[in-house]
Amino acid sequence: MSKRVGIVGAAVTPFKAKWNEKTYYELAQMATREVVKDAKISIKDVDSVFYAIYNDIFERTCIPEHALHGLIGMQNKFGTRVSTGGATGAYTISAAHAYLAAGRFKTALVLGVEKCTDCFDFMSMSATPEVIKSIGWSADSFFEQRLGWTAADSYAEVVLAYMDEHPKDLKPEVTAKISSLLSQYVKTNKFAQRQHDQVTPQEVMNSRLVVYPFKELEICVYTEGAAALILAEEETAKAISKNTGKPIVWITGLGEANEHSFAGKNQKVMPRIMSDYIASHQAYKMSGIKNPRKSIDIVELHDAFVHQLEITMSEFDLVPRGNADALIDEGLMLPGGEYLVNPCGGLIYSGHAVGASNIMSAWSARNELIKRKKKTAIVHGTGSTIAQYTAVCILEHD
Amino acid sequence: MAKKKEKLIPAEYIPDVGSHVLTIDKVKYLIANDAMYTFYQRSKGELSPFFLGLRDDKKIFGCKCPKCGLVRCPPFLTHCPDCDFAPTRIVEVGQVGVMLSTPPITYFANSLFLKMAPYGRGRVVLEGADTALSVNVYTTTGILAPGIIKKGTKVKVIFRDDRSGEISDIFCVPVSELTKAQVAKKGLLSSQINWEAAVEPTLKKATAAEQEIYKKALKEIKAVIRLMNETERARKDIMGWKREIQVKTTGGEFAIIINNGDISLAEKKLTKPDFIMVAKSPKTLADGLAYRGAITDSVIMKRLWISKNMEFTTIFKLDRMARSVARSKK
Ligand SMILES: [Zn+2]
Repeated sequence: MSKRVGIVGAAVTPFKAKWNEKTYYELAQMATREVVKDAKISIKDVDSVFYAIYNDIFERTCIPEHALHGLIGMQNKFGTRVSTGGATGAYTISAAHAYLAAGRFKTALVLGVEKCTDCFDFMSMSATPEVIKSIGWSADSFFEQRLGWTAADSYAEVVLAYMDEHPKDLKPEVTAKISSLLSQYVKTNKFAQRQHDQVTPQEVMNSRLVVYPFKELEICVYTEGAAALILAEEETAKAISKNTGKPIVWITGLGEANEHSFAGKNQKVMPRIMSDYIASHQAYKMSGIKNPRKSIDIVELHDAFVHQLEITMSEFDLVPRGNADALIDEGLMLPGGEYLVNPCGGLIYSGHAVGASNIMSAWSARNELIKRKKKTAIVHGTGSTIAQYTAVCILEHD
Repeated sequence: MAKKKEKLIPAEYIPDVGSHVLTIDKVKYLIANDAMYTFYQRSKGELSPFFLGLRDDKKIFGCKCPKCGLVRCPPFLTHCPDCDFAPTRIVEVGQVGVMLSTPPITYFANSLFLKMAPYGRGRVVLEGADTALSVNVYTTTGILAPGIIKKGTKVKVIFRDDRSGEISDIFCVPVSELTKAQVAKKGLLSSQINWEAAVEPTLKKATAAEQEIYKKALKEIKAVIRLMNETERARKDIMGWKREIQVKTTGGEFAIIINNGDISLAEKKLTKPDFIMVAKSPKTLADGLAYRGAITDSVIMKRLWISKNMEFTTIFKLDRMARSVARSKK
């Protein structure tokens, strides 16, 4: 019988468009300093560390975590890294959970960090085109990189295929309203990159097309920052919780799935995000959720693009597939609706510090569960080409 | 078949050695120009038949599993994972296919693909194949706008004249834009299709009121172009760029000449323009140049027509110049 595992500490650094003041060393240590403070433990009490770092090119070094191990005080202890594109953070939580559940360790530090906007395009004298280029090296190197593949155009493929099947769904007015709503939520997230960037649905509608069908204000923004969690097995978690006075948020369900990277018969089903469907349902099963629409209170979903947020919600069975617009049209995610979706502002407004992003989402879900005295949250990460990877975890507060 | 002698990394992409100090809250931070680069002599290995087929024979290969019969194109594996790794064999597939789903269009590309934007990238299921091949999609009718190529659109593979054995040796255009003979021809080359077939919109004769609008807009465009020419930052935006553009709008036509840092307007008809711009309203261009909305958006929204897709790069430069003038004013 595997052990119960809970979150007993969480912290994030400010998410910023650019941290000229800090390297990824300092960002990682900053999050570590904060998370042990939150859990009221010493780093000496931590048995293992699981690093969530997506892209070596961002950090400008291979095995970027090697330099972090000593400076966060984990010398001579277990340390491994997970790197699964946009799903890195959620997958890292899953990996740490497995080691603790198996009884290998009592405590684990889950540490995500990313420093992406050091990349710089000297032609346009701006970071963004070079950040996108660096992510472009994630595409299939034989069959896609030379075609101008980007993360945005690969997710747009899935979204447009969904729209081929459901032409009346994902209406521009609805995606604009969702983006505007998230920009309101972000106001209370003092760590967010765009805390003060509130937009109207009209402004979203008027923003320019970047990659059809995505408009500029419907896309997550690249960010630098770090996020950390302390996970502990049941007995240790209880002791830490007693000491901090903060309730334990249990990880009761996990699910992961990676789809095929090529599409067509027997391969990726383009109009679906099967990885989201499989991972979420696996996680529901593990935590005994029979009716997600009833059970889920809070959703912290990796919103790389607003359209994908809607599709993912349908794959989670939180809104009907083909009528994801019910999220707004029927008020499911509006204030007072069935679910609170991305109370942190999502990655569109909090920012996307890739490896740290899903960990920031877990930090937010934990805070919201405790603050609002809610029971169940789902935390999600999506990544790789054509929304290939998903990792999901269910958090429960007793 | 090899491309003209060129560098793997074009010189213009390579920044100079340098560093600067940035002061934030009275603290100094050292920022250095830097690069991480690795060169390869990379084998295409088991994928070589596919890439050699593209380069040398203008053929497209897939691989067929003898057990389940699935024909995969591209042939990215040698044994079928669905059939306990039964060995597959290379088969030739057709050069006409249908789009698996509606392809996205990239308008704002990263620096490596600026010259290519706007471009579509989608997946085509070629005749004889069961799986989809990622390809760039273009139209011969000007800018690729949403709606031209959709799920189920029949497309034809076109081979670039200059091929190097890479996936970018091919792209697709809608079959409906080609002749029957072109569609039937295997190994159709880019140079064998008519890229000038873009149908230029016709403009109505201007009314007296429209003549006035034209005069006013032209006056503003002249003033803005003069200002661009006087603005160092805007001049930098067109360094090394040469284009002669014929602009046609209701009320009249003129030429914009870009010549390595210089930009000027001439009230004349060019004999051999690099490309043509047509805007129903002369205000469209005046607004864009004066930084009241992007010219690129006008092209995407079809308020402004350009005769060559590739010239989107020039439109970007004009937008950038407008921004440079606005920034320099501050
Ligand atoms: Zn087979």
